[in-house]
Amino acid sequence: MTFRGTLLFAGGVLASLGLGWIAFPHAIYTSRQQPVEFSHKIHTGSAGMQCEDCHALREDGSYVGIPPLEQCAGCHTEPTGQTAAEKNFIEKYVTPNREPPWLVNARQPENVWFSHTPHVRLAKLTCARCHGDQGTLDKPRVYQEDRISGYSRDIWGKPVANVKGPTQTGMKMDDCIECHRAAGLEHSCLDCHK
Amino acid sequence: MISENKGNKKARYGMSIDVDRCTGCGGCMVACASENNVAPANPGANDRKGLTWIRVFKVDNGQEYPNKRSVFVPMMCQQCGEETPCYLACPQQAVDVDPSTGIVGQMPERCLGCRYCMAACPYHARYFNWWDPVWPAGMEKTMNPDVAPRMRGVVEKCNFCHGRWHAARQKAAASGNRVLDPADYVPACVEACPTGAIRFGDLSDASTEVARNSKTPDSFRMLEKLGTEPKIYYMSKRQWVKEIAEAPKLTPQKEPARG
Amino acid sequence: METNRRDLLKLAGGAAVGIVFTPVPWRLITDAALWSENWPGTPQPAHGPLTARYTNCSLCPAGCAVRARCISNRPIGMAGVAGHPLSQGALCALGLAGHQAPYHPDRLKPASASAAPVAQAIAKGGVAVLDLRPGRTASWTYRRAMAAVKGLYVTAPQPLPFAYNLSAARTVLSIGAPLIDGWGTPGNVLRARAGFHLIQADSVESRSASLADTWLRINPGSEPALALGLAQILLQRKPKAVPAGMAEAAAQMTPARTADATALSEKEILDLADALFQNGPSVVVAGEAAPEAAALNALLGGWGQAVVARQEAPVPESWKTAAPATELASVPDGSIHTLLIDESAPGDYIPWGVIAKKLARGSSSVIVFSWSGTGYARHANLALPTAVFPEALDDLPAPADSPAAAFRLSAPLVEPPAGVVNPVEVIAKAAGIDASAALRERADAIHKTARGNLFRYADGVSTPVKDLKPEDFWNALNEGGCWIDTAQAGAPPLPKWVPSASAAGGADLAVTIVERRFAGAPGSPLMSKVYKESNLQLGPNRAALNPATAAGLGLADGARAALTTAAGSCEIEVILDPAVSPGALEVAAGPEVLDICGAFARAKVVRA
Repeated sequence: MTFRGTLLFAGGVLASLGLGWIAFPHAIYTSRQQPVEFSHKIHTGSAGMQCEDCHALREDGSYVGIPPLEQCAGCHTEPTGQTAAEKNFIEKYVTPNREPPWLVNARQPENVWFSHTPHVRLAKLTCARCHGDQGTLDKPRVYQEDRISGYSRDIWGKPVANVKGPTQTGMKMDDCIECHRAAGLEHSCLDCHK
Repeated sequence: MISENKGNKKARYGMSIDVDRCTGCGGCMVACASENNVAPANPGANDRKGLTWIRVFKVDNGQEYPNKRSVFVPMMCQQCGEETPCYLACPQQAVDVDPSTGIVGQMPERCLGCRYCMAACPYHARYFNWWDPVWPAGMEKTMNPDVAPRMRGVVEKCNFCHGRWHAARQKAAASGNRVLDPADYVPACVEACPTGAIRFGDLSDASTEVARNSKTPDSFRMLEKLGTEPKIYYMSKRQWVKEIAEAPKLTPQKEPARG
Repeated sequence: METNRRDLLKLAGGAAVGIVFTPVPWRLITDAALWSENWPGTPQPAHGPLTARYTNCSLCPAGCAVRARCISNRPIGMAGVAGHPLSQGALCALGLAGHQAPYHPDRLKPASASAAPVAQAIAKGGVAVLDLRPGRTASWTYRRAMAAVKGLYVTAPQPLPFAYNLSAARTVLSIGAPLIDGWGTPGNVLRARAGFHLIQADSVESRSASLADTWLRINPGSEPALALGLAQILLQRKPKAVPAGMAEAAAQMTPARTADATALSEKEILDLADALFQNGPSVVVAGEAAPEAAALNALLGGWGQAVVARQEAPVPESWKTAAPATELASVPDGSIHTLLIDESAPGDYIPWGVIAKKLARGSSSVIVFSWSGTGYARHANLALPTAVFPEALDDLPAPADSPAAAFRLSAPLVEPPAGVVNPVEVIAKAAGIDASAALRERADAIHKTARGNLFRYADGVSTPVKDLKPEDFWNALNEGGCWIDTAQAGAPPLPKWVPSASAAGGADLAVTIVERRFAGAPGSPLMSKVYKESNLQLGPNRAALNPATAAGLGLADGARAALTTAAGSCEIEVILDPAVSPGALEVAAGPEVLDICGAFARAKVVRA
């Protein structure tokens, strides 16, 4: 092969490597904004609330997840503060009684059977152990979705080329396995799958 | 960080099926399908290509009237405890045996659709999705959220209503227990059986009804000679019924071997 | 320098080699695999809080109690109610997936069809209502409506005037009845089963025959002959009051003749009579095909104990001026101008030919209220879609195996789709009567008697009605409850003697049809598990023949054949089964087959 040919070939290789290691790790995710600029910081700080006030466990052990609009409306029928985000939330969702289309970073695939109860009640894990610092953030994190699989960056996919998401959380299958293995609770796929 | 294994009691779940009490009503088959989000029959489905995690066979003693006698025998995954044939055959590690429950698990997402496990299973208890599962419009609203729907091209089978095990474990955890209450974990077929022919429980706990039943002289297991240690114990007072465990005689209209 | 094709190829080659050393292909493979798990069309179950709700299944007249597991108030699973005095915690296959009945593909689609023609027809006069499940509060409303417009209230054959108390019986003879296959309330029968000796006289090895203590294989269609033969022997031993006409008919049926008709030996018949006579109390349960066999009970020791007068739950006094019930058989042929059929609460299917005979020639019209397109809707001038369990509010009469009167509601668990009509509302409104609160009025009338107990499903507690306020009684019935009378029922009146019509057919019709309940009747689409995806039950248009009979007709297993009776013809698939008697053809009783054969029709089967 001529020098020029070698150069072209190497150029191709380099282009691919650049694309694959630099552009691809960013391009694979699409970023979407949450419908409401919700501040956990205000709620857990000046409002003095606990995680469980909104994200409670039901009596049978099931988890309520993101609270329904009516629970928010319990306090927010009228603005309680001065922020534009709250005004916006009331105008767009509370007054027309429309559930905000939250983008749930922690949403697991349908074939996962995850229950908060054993993790909170038996293993005594803190919320932050898996969810990261959500509870102290002033702004919701940008929701990053895998363009192909459709899952949130938080629950699936290793960091590619060290390009990490906004915050590292512990909600991927590998994280689950690591912790279960350390606790001697790794028995079979159906421990967590259904 | 949790460190040690905090008193997780090992269970060996199994069933006892009193063949003399089975009326062949098919309630278990329908309840199972409803519980486990098994779709209704595809137009092309037949007795070889359908999906029935539990199937009731009619078996007779091979005699002519007036000596002819028939029984109904529910068959499902026998949850083999030793040399589990499907587990050994699977090239994908899509099958595993849970040491803490004894349940043979099937992971449809890992399944490649090669059906080696179906060939290996001596009980024909595994079923292949020949078609995309289709629910009639609106019927998806009756689906059980504790069981994930499967896709075309994978194998599925009975897992002792594992969704109910999850739910029972969650309920136990809600009150701080690691050991689940046996009343909370009852598979759908057991709950549905109108005569109480099917019983379910922990075989390793001598106080359970299944453990007692498994030790009675009336109890037998299917193809015990293979040494796969199935955890489904059948019961009958009739000798000829016990003999079907080794060489079943199916009535001619029924059930050729599935492929 | 010019770039040529070769340069591009070199660049592409380099890119191809390079890409392998990046995460791109590997990540794409795993992502694509994940995407395929959520293949478009794979439904996602709804998640939400789990609750239990209670009602009574109304898919068949047994009306078993149901505990529905609900997610966000929508049922996702059904189970029985433990400790229930009638259904004993059991459900049949149909009921276990009853919550899926609304989604059956054969359901009549709610359309823009208007109920206006019903009002027009009623205004015109000459109208009749056919009620397939008599004894409901809706039946009383129809009777009141027909009294108001001088119409006719017609029922399927009325239930026998007596009820069975199987737990008081020591010997039960079932003459062709599906005793362990859905007769009465399945849970109640199965519970009583341990206490009686079951003799099943049946021409096929039905499920009841397999599970009986003794199976007597009789010729198909010889059920009435067996009943008469037994009556003859019993009357000789101990004369008793019997329904008019029965003694004369029985006198003809000597053991020799009975043996000839049934293919049993004389000794077997005498032994059977002995068993009934000596090991009492004995009762006889007859299939639909042999009502006279039921009259045999009057000769047996179970009369008044195991067979008692059938009770109906009290009704308000003001309803009693309603039109009387007329059995379809006694309606003169060609006399009905407009027939309204309420198939929203199905009972036993009456062959269409029997109904069609009663219609006036030329100008008659038939309006059917139904949720299924496979029944009478096929023959109607107008089919109006109705709600189905668990969408509709209705009540259930006490089943044949309840010795006491009972009242329970099938309260809806989900909203019916838009566009369905309520037959009771439509007919009552057209007749100008107000029946919107009929169920409540009936509940109040029951409450006023201060008799009986209310069994509540949620906690399994039985409370005497006299300790409850009317409001609480009504609410409890709606949230899952069952009222059962405590009044003792006495000996029933002697039943009418109705000899079975002899089956029509000529010598060329070689086989006798034996019907078996068809599992595929609209209910959950999952019923396919028992008849299509397995061979536990016969599927629609499949028929079982004895191998010897089939060989004589030149039919092989799986052959397509035409089934022809005096009333018509349909196509069937033949399967061979030695459990079927020679000369019998066992069919699953779907409407298509039922339309061409009444009870024990003679038929011929010809290879297609």
